[in-house]
Amino acid sequence: MSNPSTHPTATVRIQRFNPETDAKPHMQEFQVELKPGVTVLDALHEIKTHQDGSLTFRRSCRHAICGSCAMHVNGKNELVCNAPLKDRLDRNGRITIRPLPYLPIIKDLVVDRSSFWEQYLRVKPWLMPPADTPEKEFRMSPEEVAALNSAETCIMCGACYSSCQIVGLTKEYIGPHALLKAFLRVMDPRDAIPGARLADLDGADGVYRCRTIFNCIDACPKNLNPTLAIETLRKLAQKREAFEQARIERQKHLDEPIPAR
Amino acid sequence: MPETEIIVHDILIVGAGLAGSWAAMVAAKQGVQDVAVLSKIHPLRSHSGAAQGGIAGALNNVRPVAGGGPDGPLEQIPAGDAPIDSVDLHVFDTIKGSDWLGDQDAIEIMCREAIDVLYEYEHMGCVFSRTPDGRIAQRRFGGHSTPRANYAADWTGHVLLHTIHEQALRHKVKFYNEWYCMDLIIEDNVCRGVVAMDVLQGKIYTMRAKAVLFGTGGYGRAYKITSNAFANTGDGVAIAYNAGIPLMDMEFVQFHPTGLYKHGILMSEACRGEGGYLLNNKHERFMERYAKGKMELAPRDLVSRSEQQEIDEGRGVEADGQGIWLDLRHLGREKIMERLPQVRELAIDFVGVDPIDGLVPIQPTAHYSMGGIAADADGQVIADLAGTPVVGFYAAGEAACISVHGANRLGTNSLLDASVFGRRAGYAMARFVQNGAALQPVSGDPAQRSRARVQALLDNPGTELVEDVAQDLKTTMTNNCGIFRDEARLQQAMREIKVLQARFKNARTMDKSSRFNTDLLATLEADHMLTFSEVIVAGALARQESRGAHSRTDFPQRDDDRWLVHTMAHKNGADGPQLSFKPVTIDYDKYPPQERKY
Ligand SMILES: Cc1cc2nc3c(=O)[nH]c(=O)nc-3n(C[C@H](O)[C@H](O)[C@H](O)COP(=O)(O)OP(=O)(O)OC[C@H]3O[C@@H](n4cnc5c(N)ncnc54)[C@H](O)[C@@H]3O)c2cc1C
Ligand code: SF4
Ligand code: FES
Repeated sequence: MSNPSTHPTATVRIQRFNPETDAKPHMQEFQVELKPGVTVLDALHEIKTHQDGSLTFRRSCRHAICGSCAMHVNGKNELVCNAPLKDRLDRNGRITIRPLPYLPIIKDLVVDRSSFWEQYLRVKPWLMPPADTPEKEFRMSPEEVAALNSAETCIMCGACYSSCQIVGLTKEYIGPHALLKAFLRVMDPRDAIPGARLADLDGADGVYRCRTIFNCIDACPKNLNPTLAIETLRKLAQKREAFEQARIERQKHLDEPIPAR
Repeated sequence: MPETEIIVHDILIVGAGLAGSWAAMVAAKQGVQDVAVLSKIHPLRSHSGAAQGGIAGALNNVRPVAGGGPDGPLEQIPAGDAPIDSVDLHVFDTIKGSDWLGDQDAIEIMCREAIDVLYEYEHMGCVFSRTPDGRIAQRRFGGHSTPRANYAADWTGHVLLHTIHEQALRHKVKFYNEWYCMDLIIEDNVCRGVVAMDVLQGKIYTMRAKAVLFGTGGYGRAYKITSNAFANTGDGVAIAYNAGIPLMDMEFVQFHPTGLYKHGILMSEACRGEGGYLLNNKHERFMERYAKGKMELAPRDLVSRSEQQEIDEGRGVEADGQGIWLDLRHLGREKIMERLPQVRELAIDFVGVDPIDGLVPIQPTAHYSMGGIAADADGQVIADLAGTPVVGFYAAGEAACISVHGANRLGTNSLLDASVFGRRAGYAMARFVQNGAALQPVSGDPAQRSRARVQALLDNPGTELVEDVAQDLKTTMTNNCGIFRDEARLQQAMREIKVLQARFKNARTMDKSSRFNTDLLATLEADHMLTFSEVIVAGALARQESRGAHSRTDFPQRDDDRWLVHTMAHKNGADGPQLSFKPVTIDYDKYPPQERKY
């Protein structure tokens, strides 16, 4: 760039790979100005728009809500849009960015999340409501809602999925994100098929695949805890019939006000 | 030239935010077998998911505690007690918010159907926050006279988007994710499909359908400081305009008062709702001078204008004087941690300030696009002032102008707009197809033009960088067609846009590959922004009055005699937009125009 700058620079090392033209991935270094308030995404954007337009990555919202921009930064999965660049630099002012692990690379930092979405579909992420719908809302207590908070804020970024060693071994495994989604549905008093869901999750590719390695918890940018959800599902699966029965009972009162306590 | 592959569906929807997903889900549920959605980003990445505050609807679940004052605590309305809210009140607030430019018949439909749409969301699994007795929780929002913002904590858009996407999957809608729509096929005023690129392969397809809907979202990215996602480049609006479809009320762009300084990222209205102050460089609560009654809680357009005036008169903060302080310190650690945790994190992450003990620099940020593709309350796109339908073409959500927001949108009314009219358009398209609409022939190879366009961009050896052209556009739009406008500045903007359009012809796309070429997408998006920005400026130049978000310092008054009309802009070859003016639908007995005072 033409005008001399007073800002220090950062070295951004990025793994590059276009399977159509490259035999294998390689690292490339770029220099960017370390202006105040710059995020890792800003740095990538600066490189793309002014140095090398072929650098390819996904992004949209810029504030950690759309789930596009999960990458492998300095050996850890995270969202780059809310990561301050200066906090990610080592002593030599360097940062290393690779695509999410365990997934096929489409180009540079863009990975193929097909297996991730297939598993999401497999758990039937939608609610199956009871046959009868009330005129107004189904009644849920604030506590019943709070129990879902730890799952409903998942932004499907894949940081957990692609940090999971089991996923690294087999794409048959449902994975932390989809199990967390399944947990959301199973726990929802409005869902009419928790028994069938638990039976499905109980198989070899489901809750028993998890080896409680906890990588998913470390990786999750939303501070969610898929491991805990998986453990809960495991316990519920063991007493599936009682749980189903309790749900049938609960659903008899779904259109009634929650009693005051 | 390779032959273009052709894909055929009954209904084709472009955009997978709330508007597009509702339309798709409803059409599929109504029994249309073959419904497909294409989206340039994965549906769950759509900008609808970023909405925080809530979705409007007069459910009458909560009321202010008696004697607590206008900002006091809320409580659930006990069973049997009188309601405090009504569809009529919601309609009136929306009309007033729109500065009387909203079409009152459409507003009435939106507010009435809000109730049904909200219960449907709930029945589909949306996890709303709740009142103690289990109803959907509600909070206050600017411009609404009752607490009718239905919410899920501060991630309302996220849960709505996930819910509707899941239901679309449940009803077997087919998704083309990461496909980029480039062109609309219209012949003899009949829509026949679109041309789109599969981003992964870089391959261009003709996609034919009996009915097409655009739910492509807003155009806030044309401004330097914006709360909008990278994806909000107004593609659909520009593509429709290029295909001869009129755009309506494009000059109305809403600026939100609290975007993070330099970043534009939204600090929710809840900051002020919870009692935050706005300060200038003299540490004065300057809102005292502009809206003594409401102070920081005056409507968005007014607060943004007040901030801008402080900045323009040299009382801004930060080195370049372009900022304002948001002061939350007096709320105390506890309240900030409990009510505004996300907001606090954003301030720490992006400007390095913890609002518990620091002043957060903010500035007005381009937030919402009131204008868009002119359509009726079934999402049916119209071709002219007479309302002639463009057969088989529909639009909904932020890309459309139906028009329910008029000159200024109220917070929480846009998630509602996208949902209600996405849903209605879904029903309308299902009726259209099920009543026997046929697949219309296309002449020649409609993809030819898009293929040539892409080739020309890739072959362009130009000396300009696309990003520099785009940045200059954003700068001129911000400086000359932003919060305050006048004849001279708007003329300047128009001249600069012409220059930028010429410079764009000399801009090169750096990535020449066909695989997942996001550089090419950014070039196409820049082209689209240069197209619709001209329409914004043309409308702003013509409209010699101040109304809602459009504020002309040379015409500071609202002028109902001359300007109680919608601006319609048709493309007129290289001459730029041709404007005509459409009357606003007003029920003069029920909601006659009044002065808009808060
Ligand atoms: C930060 C923020 C907070 C907000 N908070 C609120 C709130 O609390 N309450 C409220 O009511 N409103 C809020 N809004 C406004 C509201 O979120 C939007 O107006 C609304 O979600 C728009 O929905 P939509 O379906 O029209 O478009 P979007 O959700 O923007 O979806 C557009 C879709 O079109 C697709 N698309 C675009 N161009 C192309 C193309 N060329 N080819 C293929 N696909 C394409 C995109 O991929 C995307 O799927 C907020 C807005 C912002 C920016
Ligand atoms: S659980 Fe966390 S890491 Fe995993 S997809 Fe959801 S938000 Fe991302
Ligand atoms: S860009 Fe949306 S999460 Fe980072």
